[in-house]
Amino acid sequence: MGALHRTQAASVSAQVLDDGGEQSVPGMGLGLTMRVDSSGAKGTGLLLALALLCNACVPLTPPPGPGRSLGYSPHGGTRLAMAGVMAAAPGSSDATVRRSALATHLAFRSALREVSGSALRVSSELSRLEASDSGIVGAGNGIFVRYAEYGEARLRWIDAELAAATEVAAAASEVEAPEMQLALLRLAGPRLEAAMMGSMLLAVWVDFLTLTDAALSRRLNSVEALFMRLDGWQKMLEPAMTALSSQAPEQVEAAAQDMPALVGHLSRELAALLEDMNKGAKVLETALVLKESMEALTLLSALKFTLPALRAAAPVSLGVGLMVGPNGVMMGTRMVVSAEWVEMMRQLVRAGVLSVPAVSAAVRIQAGHVMMAQGHGDLSRGVREALGDSPEVRAMRVTGKTGAGMAEPPRHHVMPNELREWFEMRGFTGKMSIEWFCVTLQQAHHQAIHGGGNWKLGRKWPGEWNRMIMEALYDAEAKAGRMLTRNTILEIVAVYMQLYDIPMNFVRCRGK
Amino acid sequence: MTDGRSWEGNWRVRLYERVRERGYDSLTAFAEARPAVPLYLLAEELGKDDIAAVQVLSGLLAEAEQRKQVTRFVRDVLVRMLSQSLPDGWPTVLDHANRFKVAKAMGRWFAYTPETHKERADRAGDALLATPPPPGWLPRGPDDELLLTLLPDEEV
Repeated sequence: MGALHRTQAASVSAQVLDDGGEQSVPGMGLGLTMRVDSSGAKGTGLLLALALLCNACVPLTPPPGPGRSLGYSPHGGTRLAMAGVMAAAPGSSDATVRRSALATHLAFRSALREVSGSALRVSSELSRLEASDSGIVGAGNGIFVRYAEYGEARLRWIDAELAAATEVAAAASEVEAPEMQLALLRLAGPRLEAAMMGSMLLAVWVDFLTLTDAALSRRLNSVEALFMRLDGWQKMLEPAMTALSSQAPEQVEAAAQDMPALVGHLSRELAALLEDMNKGAKVLETALVLKESMEALTLLSALKFTLPALRAAAPVSLGVGLMVGPNGVMMGTRMVVSAEWVEMMRQLVRAGVLSVPAVSAAVRIQAGHVMMAQGHGDLSRGVREALGDSPEVRAMRVTGKTGAGMAEPPRHHVMPNELREWFEMRGFTGKMSIEWFCVTLQQAHHQAIHGGGNWKLGRKWPGEWNRMIMEALYDAEAKAGRMLTRNTILEIVAVYMQLYDIPMNFVRCRGK
Repeated sequence: MTDGRSWEGNWRVRLYERVRERGYDSLTAFAEARPAVPLYLLAEELGKDDIAAVQVLSGLLAEAEQRKQVTRFVRDVLVRMLSQSLPDGWPTVLDHANRFKVAKAMGRWFAYTPETHKERADRAGDALLATPPPPGWLPRGPDDELLLTLLPDEEV
């Protein structure tokens, strides 16, 4: 997956999208669709795939080679506690962890850029819809406006998640300790994941709006029927959106797991609407209007891959397996996601930032694999492994989840809760409040750390975690002669966690 | 890193088993053979899956108490701390960032120091900051000359 493929991919994209622009650029999309039409449905797929590829073309520093020693061990979470494990891996060194932290950081930034890009596309589509007064906005005395507003609200949520993830990633880049950098990126992981999944769903929603807008402005369907349809779709989307915005990693992951099926369902709904529109257009004149309007549609979501073409009832990609090729994940001859994208996701999955279900869902949705959701719903092993999945990750996904009736392992503040204000004064507020820096510990470990159990060796050993960490912080502040920065505090905390063998795998205690 | 495995079973027995397996009769001897090596690396060498650095630290303290060499132990911990925090030695300029770096190492050292020696450790730290050692200074062991003047043995 070297520079050669990247260059090839880039030059092919450049040839097809001769302006060098992305398919998403307003106006560009229209042109692209028009041009594509003459070459038929197959060409559409190819071009759109290339456009997709182009979207995913981000410069990325490759992680250390295949021989890297990334050890894993099970932890109480479905994400990997990479940092600690790596510190202990045979032959590991500070340099290895540093490289991994850097690569993860770059991948994180790329993923952020990509999601921001699709949020921007959604945003401009929404603005475009709201600017037209014959469709969504004008029809039925504005009863459809609420659906555009729903999109806007969801968009604001995605933007907020992205901003938060960016902020935490920025904090990560300022901390010196690479383990803490990775821990902070993992902390921001669920936000990135939620934004990524959310933007996919939102793209589907905007496609519904676009289609409805077209139907309304050309009076192809009744206002009431369209209103009811949108209402139903919103109800279908909402639970997933709510789960994604819960900020609970388990819920986000569960929502991600269900997403291909949901998108599959929605794409059948969309196909049904198209069918109805087609039926409505009995008169030749109307049919021509329909044809024209369909050609003008720029669908944002991956539904464009699953939708049967209007005239030729092209078979959807049922039964075609996804395979990892040198250029990325392929479905037959169509590129689903680029090698760069795969590498980026692999880095994030292996560092425990993104979950396998989320990344798999993203690939399946991009591939239009959503129709297969009910049957053999999973990706092939090769694809999964390319995306960073491994037996260790799998095992962890099983053991990491709290089974029915099992008690959640208790969560403990790493920075003493009683001194919350002290930490707040030093920058631990909002997305970086001490509530986010909790850990789950085995009982023995917890007792040992809080000075209980049979742990004290030296009689005067100051073994209690809270006291120890605060002494270190107070003394450091006294020696520095000024208030400690958040980063310095995190670095001191990182060393203590290392000392006590506490995996740097933070969970949230409570609050938002 | 072990997610609690280092605290399962009798870790003291485990710790000494590992020390003996490596041919040393005490944890102190094991550590002395690895001067200025950060504590977490010592723990890693003794058991990357089931020994925590703080266990090594407390083991070393217990032995030091028996030998009445706690001050030497405190110096030794500072040496290991400095080699982890300031691998390039004492900074040339004690600017904002470097002062934080030094303060960080000092704070951690202070917290690792047993109550009996905290006050002396604190004063030694202040003295280091007030009269900084030459740039690049990095003690190689607990018997470093400068360290001995700052924190001389007092044991009876």
